[in-house]
Amino acid sequence: MPTTLRCKCVIVGDATVGKSSIAQVFHSDGSHFPKNYTMTQGVEVLVKPVNIPETTDSVEMYIYDSAGKEIFSDLVRRFWDHPSVVIVVFDCTSETSFSSCKKWLERIRSQCPDIQIPGALLANKIDLDQRRVISPKAGKELAQSNKLEYFECSAKEMQNVDTPFFYLANEFHKLYQERVELFDSLT
Amino acid sequence: MLARLLQPEAKFVKPVLTLLCHHKWTMFDVALSSAGAHIALATSSDEKHPPENMIDGKAETFWSTTGMFPQEVVIRFQTMMKITNVHICSYNIRKLKLEASEMDESTKYDTIAETEIDETDSQLQQEEIQLGEKRAYSLRLVIESGYDHFVSVHKVVVSGQAVHQ
Repeated sequence: MPTTLRCKCVIVGDATVGKSSIAQVFHSDGSHFPKNYTMTQGVEVLVKPVNIPETTDSVEMYIYDSAGKEIFSDLVRRFWDHPSVVIVVFDCTSETSFSSCKKWLERIRSQCPDIQIPGALLANKIDLDQRRVISPKAGKELAQSNKLEYFECSAKEMQNVDTPFFYLANEFHKLYQERVELFDSLT
Repeated sequence: MLARLLQPEAKFVKPVLTLLCHHKWTMFDVALSSAGAHIALATSSDEKHPPENMIDGKAETFWSTTGMFPQEVVIRFQTMMKITNVHICSYNIRKLKLEASEMDESTKYDTIAETEIDETDSQLQQEEIQLGEKRAYSLRLVIESGYDHFVSVHKVVVSGQAVHQ
């Protein structure tokens, strides 16, 4: 019989990098890209199950799409207790959003400093090739130095949006299996 | 089982009672499935590690939570019980709350204990919670937070006895 894990996936990053677009494109299986910008106030939660390959298990992703505007920072932090995994998003055409990534990651990790939280660094808007200022190399380096996995996507083109979610669901599933083995070994 | 122990002649009764005081929970474990208790609800379900494992009397089997907090489990006793303490063998639990309900099928629970359990390294947490004397038809364990994403509960032993109405 299948096991269903529950995974709290917090999405953070500066305002307008495309966090909500990414969440909504993933959630709708690529059928919905919000064409008009609406600023997220507080946190929006979306739920989506992900099947784990080669098993009958699935991971229910509780996606916490958090406001990026600094004015909401105290408010959104209250929703971040016990994060399971994190996605830090930046806009590859914005230097500022890239340099904020560290700050966002620290905010999440300070929630539970002793717990290992699988994470992804995600460059969005890669369709805007001409305006790109952050190279894949720079992205990869930042990811590596912060123990994140690096991904690139275009929510607008619905390109590669699912990959970081699948990666994190798999990592979370792996963690679960490791922990169950540990529990088993305790007696 | 208790009845059988108390049946022998008076001269045997005293040592038996001393034994009961020292090993109260093994003698009066009203949460055992073999004593008629059952799991009425659990917020996680991995069929390989079901919640029933908490009340089968074995420490080797366990219930595993499958992600996120809080996590809850409700143990329903066979009948109304007077419970005096709860012993929990677990791993990675941080904040734990115990709630009791005096009604069958009730949704009204009163908090009877709240505790923060110390982290253990590669051995089980053993937490003994004294309750005084509380009436309970069912006991709800709320795991509010943990030291990791997942926690395990190996044993829940509830000392008590049936209330004769």
